Amino acid sequence: MVINNIAENTKKLGAKQTRGETRMNIIACYKIVPDEKDIQVRSDRSISIDKAEWVIGQYDLNAVEAAMQIYEAVGGKVTALSVGDRQLENSKLKKGVLSRGPQELFLVIDEALSGADTNLTARALAAAARKIGFDLIICGEGSQDLYSQQVGIQLGQILNVPTLNAVSRIVAENGKLIVERSLEDEVEVLEVSLPAVISVTTDINQPRIASMKDILAAGKKPVTQWSLADVGLNDANRRTEILYTLAPEQAERKRIILEGESEEVLDKFYELLRKAI
Amino acid sequence: MDFRKTEEQELLLESLRELITREFSEEYFKECDEKHQYPEKFMKALVDNGFGLLGIPEEYGGTPVDTLTLILVSEEIARLGAPGYLFGSVLQIDDMLTFGSEEQKKITMELTKQGKIAFCLGITEPQAGSDTNAISTTFTRKNGKVYINGHKTFITGAMSAPYMLCMTRDFSVSDLSRAFTMWWVPMDAPGVRIEPLHKIGWFMQNTCEVYLDNVEIEEKDIVGREGYGFIQLMKNFEVERLLMAAIALGQAECAFEDAARYANQRVQFGKPIGTFQLIQEKLTYMAIKIENMRNMVYKCAWEKDNGISLQVSSALAKLYCAQASFEVIDDAMQIMGGIGYTTDHRISRLWRDNRINRIGGGTDQIMIHIAGRGILKQYR
Ligand SMILES: Cc1cc2nc3c(=O)[nH]c(=O)nc-3n(C[C@H](O)[C@H](O)[C@H](O)COP(=O)(O)OP(=O)(O)OC[C@H]3O[C@@H](n4cnc5c(N)ncnc54)[C@H](O)[C@@H]3O)c2cc1C
Repeated sequence: MVINNIAENTKKLGAKQTRGETRMNIIACYKIVPDEKDIQVRSDRSISIDKAEWVIGQYDLNAVEAAMQIYEAVGGKVTALSVGDRQLENSKLKKGVLSRGPQELFLVIDEALSGADTNLTARALAAAARKIGFDLIICGEGSQDLYSQQVGIQLGQILNVPTLNAVSRIVAENGKLIVERSLEDEVEVLEVSLPAVISVTTDINQPRIASMKDILAAGKKPVTQWSLADVGLNDANRRTEILYTLAPEQAERKRIILEGESEEVLDKFYELLRKAI
Repeated sequence: MDFRKTEEQELLLESLRELITREFSEEYFKECDEKHQYPEKFMKALVDNGFGLLGIPEEYGGTPVDTLTLILVSEEIARLGAPGYLFGSVLQIDDMLTFGSEEQKKITMELTKQGKIAFCLGITEPQAGSDTNAISTTFTRKNGKVYINGHKTFITGAMSAPYMLCMTRDFSVSDLSRAFTMWWVPMDAPGVRIEPLHKIGWFMQNTCEVYLDNVEIEEKDIVGREGYGFIQLMKNFEVERLLMAAIALGQAECAFEDAARYANQRVQFGKPIGTFQLIQEKLTYMAIKIENMRNMVYKCAWEKDNGISLQVSSALAKLYCAQASFEVIDDAMQIMGGIGYTTDHRISRLWRDNRINRIGGGTDQIMIHIAGRGILKQYR
C-alpha cells in the first residue's frame, strides 16, 4: 500500500504533470467554526460563542485548495463535504466553500452531530463518503477550533484505506499519488495507491481568493443535504465527551520596566519571566 | 429598509480582506509611498483576483457588478490602508471600452491586466481648472495627420502611462457642447514633454505638467466621436464622484479604527486615554460622521442602481465625504498624538492622501455650485 522509496520518488516529484492522465474523484472535507475574533471568555473562564459568526475553518481551506490543484492537473471532480448541525445550513457558508472551486457540495446535517467528537465526525464523514464515492479524500491538518488532528486519521481507518497526515506536497501520477510528508528533520516521500485519505499541512498551498465570478457561480452549484439516517448511520453515540473548556487564567499586565543591558538586569528579567509562567 | 449586504457582497469583501491582509502588509504600502512608487504588485493582485476588472464587461474579462458593489469594494480597499485612490480609474477604463477603437481597447486591456495604467486623463490646463470650458489645447489637421498643441497640468500618471486621453477644443465650433474632442496621444511621441509636480500626498502616483508641442498623431487616434469629448465622459461621471466619496470614507474608517484601538492602549495619567471624555467625544463624533458618510454613499449607489437621478445627491455626497473624512482623519491624528504626525504611522499618510478629495474630481465649491443650482431648481 505505502511504498517508501525516497530517491526514486523525489525524482518523480520534480516531473511535470500532464493533464487528463487519470481523472480523480476527490472529496475535500471542511468544518465550520466560530470566528476566533467573536469568541468571548466569560468571568468563570468558560467560552461563549453565542455572538460568534461562523466561518470555514482556515486549515480546511488548504484541503480544498489541494483538491482543486489535483483536479486542475489531472481532471475529475472535486466535491466538498461537511457534517454537523444546523449551522451548516447557512447559505453564505455554502457559497463560500463552493466559491473556492469545488463543483458540488454534500452536507450531513443532524442535531445528533452538534458538538460531535472526532470519532462520530469521522464515522459520519465515512458514511457520506461511501455514498458519494471517491478516489481521494483530503482533510485539513486539524480543525481551527479544537485542533485534535484526529478526524482525517480516523476517517481513513474506518474506510480501511491508506491514510497519511502531515502531507506538504501532492503530485498525482498514473492513478497514484506521490506525496511529501514534512517530519521533524526529514522529508518523507511516499507513493500512495488510491483510494486514500490524506491530511494536508497549512503550508502545502495558499488557498485561492474567490473572485466575484467564482462567488456568483457558487450560488448555482448543486448542494445535497442528508441526515444521518440518509447516510445509514444510526448509531450516533460518542466515545468521548467534552466536560468543559476553560480559557487560561487572565493576569493583569505587570507593567514592570527594566532598564539597561547588564547581567543583573537580564537575570532579573529571567527571574520575573519564570515566575510569571 | 434593508441595510444588509447580499451574501455575494459579503463574500466578495471577505475575499478582498483575505487578499490584502495576507499579501500586502502596511510595510509594503509605506515603502511604495516613501519611494514614490506605483504599487504595481498590488494593482496586479487586484486584477488577478478579479477586483481590478469589476464593473468591466465580461467580454473583456471583467465582471459586471452593480454600483453598490463597486462602491463597497473601493471603500474596503481604502479601509484596509491600501491606496484606494488608484482603484478609481476603473470607470475610465469602462469609458474607453465604450468609446475607444479596437486598437485603443486592446492596449487598454493588455496593460490593465498587468496591473499597469494604460492612459492618463488630460483635461486640466493652467487656465482651465474648475472651468473646463476654458480648455485651449487644439488639434489641427495637415497632410492627413493630426497635430496637438497645448499645455496640460495636474495630469495623474503622465510619467507612467504610455497614452493620454487628451481633451482638445475646436474653436471653430461655437456650441460648447459639441466643441471638445478627445485624442489618444502616445506619451513618447516627439513634442511631448512631461515634468513632475511635487505634491504633499498621493505619492504612489505621479502628477505632472504635460507640454504638447505639435505632437503628430493619426486620424485613427481620435477617441469616440469628434465633438463628443465631454459627453462621452458623462456616462460614468456621477459614479466617479461617488467612487471618490467611497474612497474618502474608507480612509476615514481606517484612521478611525486605528485611533480607537490606540485610545484603548495608550496610557497617560495612569489610565488609557480612551477613558478621558474629551477623547470619547472625538470618537463619538467621528463615528457619527462615518455613519453619515456611509449612508449617503450607499444611498447614492442604490439610487444609481435603481435608475434614480443622483445629480444633486452625488454632489452632496462628494462634498460631505471629502470634508467629513478629512475631519475624521485629522481627529484620529489628534488622538494618536505625536506618533500620528510621524511617517511611522499610516495616519499621517491618510491625512496627506485624503486632502485632495476636496480639490480633485471637482472642488468643494464646484460641488456646492452643482448641488445649489439643483436644489433651487427643485423648488422653482
Ligand atoms: C493630485 C491631483 C491630481 C489631479 N489629477 C488630474 C488628472 O489626472 N487629470 C486632470 O485633468 N486633472 C487633474 N487634476 C486637476 C483637478 O481636477 C483640478 O485641480 C481641479 O478641478 C481644480 O482646478 P484648479 O486646481 O485649477 O482650481 P481652480 O479652478 O482655479 O479653483 C481655485 C479655487 O477657486 C474655487 N472656484 C473656482 N471656480 C469657482 C466658482 N465658480 N465658484 C466658487 N468658487 C470657485 C475653487 O473651488 C478653488 O477653491 C488633479 C489635481 C490634483 C491636485
